[in-house]
Amino acid sequence: MSRDTLSRPEPVTPRRARRETRGPRRRASRTGARNARAAAAFVLPFFALFALCFLAPIGYALHQSLFTTERTGPLGLGGQEREVFAGLANYAQALSDDRFLTGFGRVLAFGAVQIPLMIVLATALALLLESASARAVPFFRSAFFLPYGVPGVIASILWGFLYVPGISPLVKIAGSVGWDLDFLSRGTVLWSLANIVTWQFTGYNMLVLIAQLKAVPGELYEAARIDGANAWQVARHLKIPLIRPALVLTGVFSIIGTLQLFAEPMVLRPLASSIDSGFTPNLHAYSEAFVGNNPHAAAAEAVLLALVACVLSFGFLRLVGGRTKERG
Amino acid sequence: MTSNAMHRRTVLGGAAALAAGFTLAGCGDGDDGQAPEERKKGQKISLTFWSWVPGIDKPVDLWNRTHPDVQVKVEKVSAVNGQQYAKMHAAIKAGNPPDLGQIEFPVVPSFLLDNGLLDLAPLGAGRHKGKFSGWQWQQSVFGKSVYAIPQASGPMGLFLRQDLFDKWDVPVPRTWDEYETAAEAVRKKGAWIETFAPTNGNRFSGLAWQAGAKWYATHGDTWIVHLDDEPTRRVADYWESLVRRKLVKTIPDRQNAWYKDLQTGAIPAWVGASWGDALLVGNAPGTKGKWRAAPLPQWKAGEQAFANWGGSTTAVFAKARYPKDALDFAVWLNTDPESIALLIDGGYGFPSAKKGYTTTDLDVDKDFFGGQAYSKIFADAGAHVDTSWRWGPGVDTLYQRLGDAFTDALADGSSFRSVLTKVQGQTLADLKGKGLKVESGG
Repeated sequence: MSRDTLSRPEPVTPRRARRETRGPRRRASRTGARNARAAAAFVLPFFALFALCFLAPIGYALHQSLFTTERTGPLGLGGQEREVFAGLANYAQALSDDRFLTGFGRVLAFGAVQIPLMIVLATALALLLESASARAVPFFRSAFFLPYGVPGVIASILWGFLYVPGISPLVKIAGSVGWDLDFLSRGTVLWSLANIVTWQFTGYNMLVLIAQLKAVPGELYEAARIDGANAWQVARHLKIPLIRPALVLTGVFSIIGTLQLFAEPMVLRPLASSIDSGFTPNLHAYSEAFVGNNPHAAAAEAVLLALVACVLSFGFLRLVGGRTKERG
Repeated sequence: MTSNAMHRRTVLGGAAALAAGFTLAGCGDGDDGQAPEERKKGQKISLTFWSWVPGIDKPVDLWNRTHPDVQVKVEKVSAVNGQQYAKMHAAIKAGNPPDLGQIEFPVVPSFLLDNGLLDLAPLGAGRHKGKFSGWQWQQSVFGKSVYAIPQASGPMGLFLRQDLFDKWDVPVPRTWDEYETAAEAVRKKGAWIETFAPTNGNRFSGLAWQAGAKWYATHGDTWIVHLDDEPTRRVADYWESLVRRKLVKTIPDRQNAWYKDLQTGAIPAWVGASWGDALLVGNAPGTKGKWRAAPLPQWKAGEQAFANWGGSTTAVFAKARYPKDALDFAVWLNTDPESIALLIDGGYGFPSAKKGYTTTDLDVDKDFFGGQAYSKIFADAGAHVDTSWRWGPGVDTLYQRLGDAFTDALADGSSFRSVLTKVQGQTLADLKGKGLKVESGG
């Protein structure tokens, strides 16, 4: 709008000019106010919900994590209960808990293996489905995506049946050729969980990547082909660099998802003695809250978990962001 | 995508990460200060009851038919890994617990810690004391307060596949030494006598109880905890030896793989409790007629030391809207002869009530046990349970600690004794952390 007015300069008398400059400006400020009001009306519900469902619980968790319960009364039973300020004692306790820290180490190892594997797999599937011209593409796309539609708990139960000895056909088949498979031992159970997560989320990440591939203008491919690039070269030098933002995005989501690992170990826990109550940090916080009945310690652990997730996600973005700049 | 958009996404991603804080912090204290009401004559009310006992619907249906004014609604809760208690504790914290709940003896004190249960003594619960077997009534009595109405106990015994024991020429073990010999013999036949489930703290405490352990005591207003005592060490050493010699499996019990092993005879025995009959019948129907029950093996030949695994109560939650009616229902459920008959049919364990049944009523699955009057075994065991055993607060945490430590011990080869030392220390810290006075027993 402003560019339009500028392009049509009109000779003006000073008086008129004064009026003109005053007029539009007043009009502009009035529309501005109206716009601001409208914008506020649109944005307010978001901020209200954001504050209610996001900021308030975080604030509450932070608050909870700084307190502890004190009991009086005979043997502490049926007496008075009081919340007293504990400072950072809950954090100190969480950080000195071996099981909680081991859980972090475990999910980090999990992520270091599972995330690259899943993203490479998702990228490969996305590239293959995008370059194929066969009719079955929509079918395969849905088929790969389907596991994402299965809730994590159900997926874990399903895979549980394939893991439990005595029931699992896989263990049976392997056993019949003399291979003693144990999916649920201390050493293997983490990777059995990784398999469930990979099965569930590869298709989802593939779809994100496909969406970005679709956004690439066709002329680029055409130009590449005219330049004599083969399919592999197009993928390597054109497609993968172009879907970089989507790869970064799926990477960040996966990092956060990994730290939140909960449903899968929770469901497999009764089946596998090798999964302890603090197998992942999230499971540890759950046990603290609902078995130990100690919401304050659990809140501190949840806050720590969120902090680590933030550090890792931003760290990852810094890392990949930095590389972009070098190249640019 | 611009870097700005990226940042926004990350912030939202971080939001997802904080969702962990969400679920934990989501529940408020919800102290609405509502005083319990008294039901007016003729007023129709409804009470909610959380339970997982198989067949509990039937006695409740009977109550609903005979008590049109006070309708009870059963909501089934999962008993896997103590999830029912997690749910109850969370509901108490959130201020919306049910009116009544099924709570096992060991965890009653844990609920008292968060003031979750109603003291039934002022409502006249004391009048009903005589209807129940004395020590079970005492399990939920603290000081002058009565916190729950006992429902059933679980005297322990040994279930075994008589046909396989006969075929393999293994005598039924009467002592733990004989049990070990039997385990060796069974292993030679390619099976494992049973499993030592590292995460089953319930059974382990029962075995310690039989050996004469006393994990909890009180002195003034101080809790005395003594997990690492001589009897418990003996039990730990014994099972460690079986595990290390690979004479028992270490898979979790009462799970699919275990049921499968029971069905196929890969595991021909189970140190279980009276309510185990329903589990066997339900999960290994193909082995009908082949099972028998035997007394729990003894540490010394000829002794009569028994213990209890599980056993539960019907408790009234502190926020119950009509406490008087809830108490009436709890007492009726656990003393009315018709109700007891229906509960026995459902397989709920050994009645806590003194009257209203005979041991033959309890032989519900006689055919499954080849016609054996197997409940006599458990009745005898029940009569010889060391009734001085007491539970303390935080038993659910204790079980979890034990499970974690046994799991570690199985993986890294550390001794079962070190498990006891470790969990003893952790338990002291846990109870201190809950604001209780606590000491280590000597």
